[in-house]
Amino acid sequence: MNRQTLNSDLWVDRYGDLMYRYTLVRVKNADTAEEIVQATFFAALQSQDRFEGRSTEKSWLFGILKHKIMDHFRQAHRERSLDLLPEDDPDPCTFDSTGHWNQMPKSWGMTPDQAAENRQLQEALKTCMDRLSDKFRQVFVLKEIEGLDTQNICNEFNIKPTNLWVILHRTRNQLKKCLETHWFNKDSHG
Amino acid sequence: MANPIFLNAMNRVLDALHMTCKDTSPILSEMVDHEVSLGKRVRAKIHLMMCVVCRYYEVQLLTLQKLAQQLAREDLAALDQATLKPETKEKIKQKLRSP
Repeated sequence: MNRQTLNSDLWVDRYGDLMYRYTLVRVKNADTAEEIVQATFFAALQSQDRFEGRSTEKSWLFGILKHKIMDHFRQAHRERSLDLLPEDDPDPCTFDSTGHWNQMPKSWGMTPDQAAENRQLQEALKTCMDRLSDKFRQVFVLKEIEGLDTQNICNEFNIKPTNLWVILHRTRNQLKKCLETHWFNKDSHG
Repeated sequence: MANPIFLNAMNRVLDALHMTCKDTSPILSEMVDHEVSLGKRVRAKIHLMMCVVCRYYEVQLLTLQKLAQQLAREDLAALDQATLKPETKEKIKQKLRSP
């Protein structure tokens, strides 16, 4: 049987940067990301015996990393509620008295699929995510990056569903505005 | 077509039915996340048929979601220039050797 084996000596060189980047997309702070990667390697070393060779070394390490990242979110939520508070950022999109947009959305000139393949736009979204408040960023990451469904997020992070929808809506509007300021409008001016 | 009296009346109808852009945009955001009630869905769909601006907004929401999903892929780590500091790597390696 061709059992996968582990080689902890090579882990850091092989997967360190990859795991660090993966974490940085989910966690804003570089020091925190570093700590999470480090903790992942130690946890992996301690549970080497439980590696059954059913997955590759890389996917096994990433499995542990994903757990560590979720632990980080749970920890952050214990320290500060993720529920919506009056002092949270307001909706940047506003409407006039007849319910029309004050700033009407315009076409971004590409389909969602085209946008998703655009490397610079990916970078721009990452930059805009880093400008969100911690709470809004965490909720957006849990929903769109980690791919948890809204029910799960409400249960695990103790948010009322209506509040979660408001947070997600405001977060998207902030990201929209940021992308328009730093990407789409900039682009159209040449 | 752009008769102001007609438009004014139309606005009041939409307002009364909770079908203005202001009412519709949060529903569009919700629809990105999960199933919404039939009433909400129908109101949003009818509004979208009449309102090109909200159609743009809907595409923008989908674009944000697609982009985020792309960022999430582990084989496409988004920031390809970011690396662990060499001293951090060395530190981790040493600890791994003598835990």
